[in-house]
Amino acid sequence: MAEQRLAGIDVGRYGRWLRRMGGGERHFAVVDAAGDTLWSDGDPGGFEQVCAALAACGFDWHCDGPGLQRRDVDDALTLLYHPIAGGPQRVLGWLAAVVERFEPQHAPIRIDELAEALEDVAAGIADQYRTGDELDVMAAELAARYEELHLVYGLDDELRRHGDTRNLFVSLLQTCADHMNADVAALVSADHEFRLSATNLSKPIHNLDLVLVEMRGDLFRFVSSAKQTIVLNDAKDPRRAYVFTDMPYKVMAYPILSGDAVIAMLVLLNHADKPDFSNSDRKLAEVLANQLSGLMRMYTMMTESARFNEQMAAALIEAVEAKDPYTRGHSERVHHLSMEIGRAMQLQDEDLDNLHWASLLHDVGKIGIPDAVLCKPGRLTPDEYTFIMVHPERSYEILRHIDRLRDAVPGARHHQEKWDGTGYPHGLKGNRIPLLARIIAVADTYDSITSSRAYRPGRSHEVALAEIDRVTGSQLDPTVVDVFKALCAAEPPWLAKFNVRRERQHA
Amino acid sequence: MKRILIVDDQPHVIRVLRLCLERDGYTVASASDGTEALSLIRAGAPDVLITDIQMAPMSGRELCQALHLEFPKREFLTLVMTSMTAREERDWVRQLPATEFVEKPLSPRALLERLARHFSTLSEESARG
Repeated sequence: MAEQRLAGIDVGRYGRWLRRMGGGERHFAVVDAAGDTLWSDGDPGGFEQVCAALAACGFDWHCDGPGLQRRDVDDALTLLYHPIAGGPQRVLGWLAAVVERFEPQHAPIRIDELAEALEDVAAGIADQYRTGDELDVMAAELAARYEELHLVYGLDDELRRHGDTRNLFVSLLQTCADHMNADVAALVSADHEFRLSATNLSKPIHNLDLVLVEMRGDLFRFVSSAKQTIVLNDAKDPRRAYVFTDMPYKVMAYPILSGDAVIAMLVLLNHADKPDFSNSDRKLAEVLANQLSGLMRMYTMMTESARFNEQMAAALIEAVEAKDPYTRGHSERVHHLSMEIGRAMQLQDEDLDNLHWASLLHDVGKIGIPDAVLCKPGRLTPDEYTFIMVHPERSYEILRHIDRLRDAVPGARHHQEKWDGTGYPHGLKGNRIPLLARIIAVADTYDSITSSRAYRPGRSHEVALAEIDRVTGSQLDPTVVDVFKALCAAEPPWLAKFNVRRERQHA
Repeated sequence: MKRILIVDDQPHVIRVLRLCLERDGYTVASASDGTEALSLIRAGAPDVLITDIQMAPMSGRELCQALHLEFPKREFLTLVMTSMTAREERDWVRQLPATEFVEKPLSPRALLERLARHFSTLSEESARG
């Protein structure tokens, strides 16, 4: 390598400098560490002849002490040579001059000048060599940084595209497996929350799922007690005894920390015939693991906050339904039907989210209706009916305090509006009624007919559809009804799930 | 030995790629813009050309188009380094034959893998005749 590097330097230029400074020298030459001539001047082949003559006498280019060396070639010529130092104890090559033979006691003055010139030029070549060497080290370092940047940009790209979904983890693992050319990249957590993997298989792994399950045991314990990256390249590594033994792969496992606790690990697996995991692999895995750590915390927080939202909503619904045992499950069913319709209408994710909350909470305002009215069997008096009519506005008054539900609230507030403008609370007509409210109205109508009330048992699916047909265009939006009927035609699973009564011919 | 020509106006990019490629046994030549690259290619085609886009006086895009006009039957692969963020650059790359993009910042290991794949496909094809 060293000789090669010296060959990469334009040594001829240094030789020509010497020639211009020099006087009566026969030859100047640059010789590599092995004694091969890289450059020489004077009559062609002349320097090689000198070398051949010296080699015949057992000369092997070596130093006796520091600085300029001399060796008499024959009666006529003397070889002067100076080492080119690549570092302490390391000779890259030699700078040589062949001069008329002289006796050491009678060295001409110009030999001193020549010695200085050789020394300076040798130092110049050595400096250039070292600079090149340092540049290579820096370039290698830069290459590693490129590698990290490439991975980080790739991860960033995935983050931007997937936002916050669970798929994000899988696609990050995929980026990692592809980029690092690993057979498997897996994320395994101590609890059962995460056991995700992505593969870039060079050869099949038949029991990958089993391997992942097993990793959660021994390997995870090993990593979480070590709290540092475990790299098992060698098949005979004794530490393999602590790990799932039936895992004939090269393993790199990196702990993912939250505070002081190891909450998960990132594992890369390679078949035994792949190259060993390197330090650069280790650094790259670190980059990914740090990203994953932040993301897992975020994901956990989001899951917790979503669960909190659901539970708060469930508590509210429970409060409403506790007032009237006959409406038990009504909110949940209207929610289910509304979402089916919303998805069939291909609503955007954001609208579906609003529909979710609006349909679940549409009847929350019933909390404000006196039990005597709400649970009264039989017909309501006009006064009592006024109480009932207030409930959507009550729903609005309760829900408007929740910023998160701002765009969902109109769906609940207007679910009793009618297509022809005769509904309540505002008497909105046609498309002025919010779409979410029109969807909830269809689902609400259907469930009101098919579920049991204080004053009557639930009616059949067929009766409900007939009634819906009858009020389409006056009470209900025909477009939404069409979608709902198309759903019903496919005999959806909720018919059985909600125990909807059927007419005999369908039973 | 396979010859790779790198065209980039940033010496550090050339230095890094040269180091990685030479370690892997490739012979590397370099040019700092399209004009210089074109004259090197006229003197002898490389096995793979790797070029940046933004260079003066001749950009990578102009180089690719010039190559396409002058050597419509060229057999070497051209890899164009495009930024991961500037995806629109990839459209014109896709339209040229035997021209593909690689993402910048270039991952040296991904590049070596890409080249190894390219040359093994080539040797398989030539083995099949």
